[in-house]
Amino acid sequence: MEQKKYWKGLEELHNTDAHQEIVKNEFSEELPFESEGLLNATTPRRDFLKYLGFTTAAAAIAASCETPVRKAIPYVNKPEEITPGVANYYASSYSIDGEYVPLVVKTREGRPIKIEGNTLSSITQGATSARVQGAVLSLYDVARLRFPSISGTETTWAELDKQIGAALAGLGGAPVVLLSSTILSPSTKKVIGEFLAKYSNSRHVVYDAVSYSGMLQANEASYGKKVIPSYHFENAKAIVSLGADFLGTWLNPVEYSKQFAQTRKINAKKPEMSKHFQFESTMSLTGANADERYTHKPSETGAVALALLAAVGGSVTAPALDGRLKEGVAKAAKELKANAGKALVVSGSNDVNVQLIVNAINNIVGANGTTIDFASPSNYRQGIDSDMAKLVSDMNAGSIGAVLVYGVNPAYDYFESQKFVDGLKKVKLSVSFNDRNDETTELCKYVAPDHHFLENWNDVEGRPGYYSFAQPTILPLFKTRAIQDTFLTWAGNTAAWADYLKNEWVSKLGGQEGWDKALQDGIVEPATAPALGGASFSGDVAGAAAKINSAKKGGKYELVLYEKVAIGNGKLSNNPWLQEMPDPITRATWDNYACVSNTLAKTFSTQLGDDYEINAEKKVLKIKTNGKEIVLPLLIVPGIHPEVIAIAVGYGRGEKVGRAAAGIGKNAYPLVSYNGQTFDYFAIDATVEATGEKYPLGLTQTHNSYEGRPIVKETTLEEFIKNPKEVNEDRLELKKFGPDFRKDGTLYPNYSYPGIKWGMSIDLNTCFGCGACTIACQAENNVSVVGKEEVVKAHEMHWIRIDRYFSGDENNPEVVFQPMLCQHCDNAPCENVCPVGATNHSSEGINQMAYNRCIGTRYCANNCPYKVRRLNWRDWNGADSFENNLYDVADMNDNLTRMVLNPDVVVRSRGVMEKCSFCVQRLQEAKLDAKKAGHPLKDGAAKTACQQACGADAIVFGNINDKNSEIYKIRNEMQTERLYYVLEETHVLPSISYLAKIRNKDAAPKAEKEPAHKEEAHHA
Amino acid sequence: MHLKYESTLREPLVDGVKDYHQVTEDIISPIEGKPGKLWYVGFFISLALLGFGAFSVFWQIYFGVGVWNLNKTVGWGWDITNFVWWVGIGHAGTLISAILLLFRQGWRTGVNRAAEAMTIFAVMCAGQFPIIHMGRVWMAFFILPYPNTRGPVWVNFNSPLLWDVFAISTYFTVSLLFWYSGLLPDFASVRDRAKTKLRKLLYGVASFGWTGSTKHWQRHEALSLVLAGLATPLVLSVHTIVSFDFATSVIPGWHTTIFPPYFVAGAIFSGFAMVQTLLIITRKIVHLEEYITVGHMEAMNKVIVLTGSVVGCAYLTELFMAWYGANPYEFATFFKYRAAGPLGWSYYIMMTCNVVTPQVFWFRKMRRSVAVTFVMSIIVNIGMWFERFVIICTSLYRDYLPSSWSYYRPSWPEVGFYLGTFGLFFTCYFLFAKYFPVIALAEIKAILKTSGQNYKEKMEVYEEEPAEKFAHDVAHSH
Repeated sequence: MEQKKYWKGLEELHNTDAHQEIVKNEFSEELPFESEGLLNATTPRRDFLKYLGFTTAAAAIAASCETPVRKAIPYVNKPEEITPGVANYYASSYSIDGEYVPLVVKTREGRPIKIEGNTLSSITQGATSARVQGAVLSLYDVARLRFPSISGTETTWAELDKQIGAALAGLGGAPVVLLSSTILSPSTKKVIGEFLAKYSNSRHVVYDAVSYSGMLQANEASYGKKVIPSYHFENAKAIVSLGADFLGTWLNPVEYSKQFAQTRKINAKKPEMSKHFQFESTMSLTGANADERYTHKPSETGAVALALLAAVGGSVTAPALDGRLKEGVAKAAKELKANAGKALVVSGSNDVNVQLIVNAINNIVGANGTTIDFASPSNYRQGIDSDMAKLVSDMNAGSIGAVLVYGVNPAYDYFESQKFVDGLKKVKLSVSFNDRNDETTELCKYVAPDHHFLENWNDVEGRPGYYSFAQPTILPLFKTRAIQDTFLTWAGNTAAWADYLKNEWVSKLGGQEGWDKALQDGIVEPATAPALGGASFSGDVAGAAAKINSAKKGGKYELVLYEKVAIGNGKLSNNPWLQEMPDPITRATWDNYACVSNTLAKTFSTQLGDDYEINAEKKVLKIKTNGKEIVLPLLIVPGIHPEVIAIAVGYGRGEKVGRAAAGIGKNAYPLVSYNGQTFDYFAIDATVEATGEKYPLGLTQTHNSYEGRPIVKETTLEEFIKNPKEVNEDRLELKKFGPDFRKDGTLYPNYSYPGIKWGMSIDLNTCFGCGACTIACQAENNVSVVGKEEVVKAHEMHWIRIDRYFSGDENNPEVVFQPMLCQHCDNAPCENVCPVGATNHSSEGINQMAYNRCIGTRYCANNCPYKVRRLNWRDWNGADSFENNLYDVADMNDNLTRMVLNPDVVVRSRGVMEKCSFCVQRLQEAKLDAKKAGHPLKDGAAKTACQQACGADAIVFGNINDKNSEIYKIRNEMQTERLYYVLEETHVLPSISYLAKIRNKDAAPKAEKEPAHKEEAHHA
Repeated sequence: MHLKYESTLREPLVDGVKDYHQVTEDIISPIEGKPGKLWYVGFFISLALLGFGAFSVFWQIYFGVGVWNLNKTVGWGWDITNFVWWVGIGHAGTLISAILLLFRQGWRTGVNRAAEAMTIFAVMCAGQFPIIHMGRVWMAFFILPYPNTRGPVWVNFNSPLLWDVFAISTYFTVSLLFWYSGLLPDFASVRDRAKTKLRKLLYGVASFGWTGSTKHWQRHEALSLVLAGLATPLVLSVHTIVSFDFATSVIPGWHTTIFPPYFVAGAIFSGFAMVQTLLIITRKIVHLEEYITVGHMEAMNKVIVLTGSVVGCAYLTELFMAWYGANPYEFATFFKYRAAGPLGWSYYIMMTCNVVTPQVFWFRKMRRSVAVTFVMSIIVNIGMWFERFVIICTSLYRDYLPSSWSYYRPSWPEVGFYLGTFGLFFTCYFLFAKYFPVIALAEIKAILKTSGQNYKEKMEVYEEEPAEKFAHDVAHSH
């Protein structure tokens, strides 16, 4: 059917030309462009808009600054398991130098950014240390070797393998020696074994920079077993440590802290705790936590052990000791005997005879099988000093064909490093697998750098049957190769290390499933823990005693070398976090120094006091012993023996190990000596003189006393049992302000917290001051490193610090550690003084910082009674828009290093105040997870970084509105007697409560308090 | 002719034989002539200091406030010390112009112009510190409550630092208005005498078309009175609010209710001292000894000894309260770390300069000695600088937790910044002394015939007359 067409008028019907023209131009209008030119234009609207548009655009383009192009490349094919913004966790293991710490590594977008302890491990139970926390930064160390090299020039792995293969073949039967530190990996050892088996005479020498050879050899002599037993501090009621810093640096402190903490947790319902004696020369972290502490000279170490043996009933005669020490030995012996079967003696000595005497004591007090376990011993240290000494002399004799250096650095830390260096020159083939161009590596012709442990597969065996695994958390950053792959290649095995390891374990665990689970858990342990096993003691006590008694007497001054909690033996010294971590005892950063007592310092006309406190410049001493000398600034440490000087090892590194460590402090290893059997980390005859120079030290705390202020509360166990409420007597005074003084004590409105109210409790009894929390916080919250010069100016940035106070006699002080962080006050003095409201209160009780809003008046910091607020004094991290004003002394702003930054936490620009946020990013995540899962937030789901890192579980955190939470129970049920708030009387209403410290010591006579009591009784 | 009659026993306020024209000559001719050598020397030294200050500030802003030696414990040091010091100095100007005007103190006319100028320059210097001391000075506008698109985000009205912003800006505005309105008739005098076109133009603009009509004078008087009324509470409020920066905090040594009166007295004390310093130099250089007489200085010295003693009482009250209050932290701050301890020396400088030495002014001979006055004026300002340093630093450096105790020494940019404000102050003052009538011309003329020496001498005839004769003469004069 034809479509009908309607017309609207005759014009359309006829469709004239004129009509067509009209239709075509129906809506058109002449554009009113002026043709006379710009200058005499009348500027009609369109022109005006045109010019305006052009000029605005031009001005905008011309005026806009050059914005830096940052490449954010999306995944073309997104890996299934990676969701941007969501963290992945992989089990791993820390086993550097024989420490055993199973880990869980947090990765974001393929980058490991945070290390946590693996709670599935029955040995460490999720504990970590500062060094373990800091290890993630070492992964991104710019000083790491990035490729294999031959004589300093880059090469390929194939070329390297070819040349080394040829070199090994051309040794003509001369022995091949692998020189390594303690290796805990059974599969790695197997690979090494396969490689070494190819060469006759080859051997594996284990060399620990700080050796426990004396212990291994003494155990062999005592029990016929060259092992280090496992210790069970948790079973001990009486603990005597003869210079063993088991909470700080001794063997595996992470494990022992966890155990020891269990014996220090106390409440009024169960007022029991262990008693810990420490006999030592310097002030160690462990000594600082001891109930009773006695000092002696290092030359008396053996005598103290002998005296203790005699006092517990050993058949030796006690050598003469001075009054206080003698008394201490008697007390310790009494306690050990009273707790036979629940007693433990440990010694930090590397002397075979001393360790043998200690074994004899442990044998008498029934430690074997109860607190010491020989059934599943620890693998933590395996080096025998005489093996190393022999190797060095063999090398010098020219009888060694090849030295393969793995994870050790004798050119730096061997006591006669020159001898080692000379020996190495006589070796035909020298290969280093070390991660950086350290003192030894730079002498080796071939450098075949190993992966960082976070890039590699591994299995780690802490005790027989107790395994922890490592898997790559990131693709290797550089052209490094796993040492296991290297050995497999050189041994002619074509299997890749990953497959090799997998095959090992698949067959051990009976299938892929077992292996997958092992990797997932990170742990394989016996289903039921084997019973503790003793060992029968058969050591030659008389012989050891005779040797101890015949030892040379010390000179006027004696010297002790020790490891710092943060730096350890120096292997991780190029770690800015660890360098800047304040030493728990001295509170010093970035240096080593000569620790001396106040008494000794006085002979150099300096002493504790205002002058000493306010001047960072300390007098420099020249210390000579055994024909060697070292020049270091002195640092006064109360509690060190008055005739002893203590110096930390691990400093004085070469220029090539990295910017953070280079040139910091002096190397103290040359002061080590060899007694023919083991290395001695002390010298019994030293001379000291002042050089007349001064040197600044960066201390984060300069005043040592808490001046009797009620900011730290402590009592003795005896007092606590008698009257648990006494420690908090002064809190009763606040009661007279009425029950509602929270509301009445202020002009400002009282906040209500309808949902969550976060709170934290810190137990001063189990805070050992190790500093793991400080580094965990630094890693979690992108806290900047400022460098020594700025620490001297008190510009350090740590959000959580551990205040260390001494009290009592300066030669035998008591020590208390108090972690101090933002108290998240409910009536916060910082909040009402900020003119721009940059710091404010959340509905969950968090005192929060709006960095963008902060203008840096520092008023909040001035008004903070706890002094926990930290200004970004300089541009530490490139977050500032001013060019060339970056202040970075430690390569913290390299693109590589910045990979460690936590993307959930903003990097603060300079001029901005910052402080602890209670890890608000973690709290938000936990809340979101709970919301997604559709249940209320569970207690323990949200953990702060410091809480998680604390090996002693001293920090408890949670929602105090939740009546089932641990924090609620501590505050309202478990610990009401010990609970107090720091500076409660200022009415700032802090959210962090502390639990008073309880010392298991003889109650001191309380002369001052007596009259007050009487008066009260009178009134009543 | 004033209706007021002033006894000849009162010292004349203008010495020498003066008539209105002579007064005009004395005060305006320095503006018309070339400045002396001393002026050039002083001016260029001031400019150099200003330049060094600007460099120090640039250094600090570029590299961060970390180039200063402030630290985690002592967050304020020279910066806020200098701020409070300069603000305090400004107080004399307002006191002289406002309160003394209301109290009809004729002697103020000789010194008010310079004192008000000093106020304005001192407040300009003071204002630098709270701005530059910020970690992010480019965000300083955040402290202004203006409508914005960030929420809007408002300032925190609880913060004393914000109150400072209002207090100081109000103070500056009112002082400037007061000063300038007083200048109008004098600028008009300069304009009317001008012999160069440029001077005529500039002073013409500056005098806002002043004709000297009765209406103008009437309005001028009224305005002065209104501004005086407005400024009077400011004398008390500005330093009260500045003191709130400290008084409302929780830090022992700051948390003190006595601060407002104590700060105000201290401010007037230092302000008068600074006026003395400046005027002794100015009267010498510009030869105004006949207008700024020893009598003026004596009057101001009386104020100094009074306020100095008030301040001294406040110091002792603080010490007493620190003991009596039984707050161990406050006790420690005052007795262990302020009156002793590593910063104790600053406390003794303060005590000596502010409390002990001003007592010499109980002696008339000392009050009237130009040399003693000059030395004392400087001593007082040193003392008052240390007072602020003591309050700020000795409270902060050892507060609640001994773990955080620290020490403080200024770094070169901090010192440089302070010197820079001296540069700013004196550059402004030298320009003022050259181009502005240093003495309030119109006002001095107003008192000339009652308090001028030659007029007083004329009255002596009558004074010596017996009362009966005087009454008789007056009765028969008509």
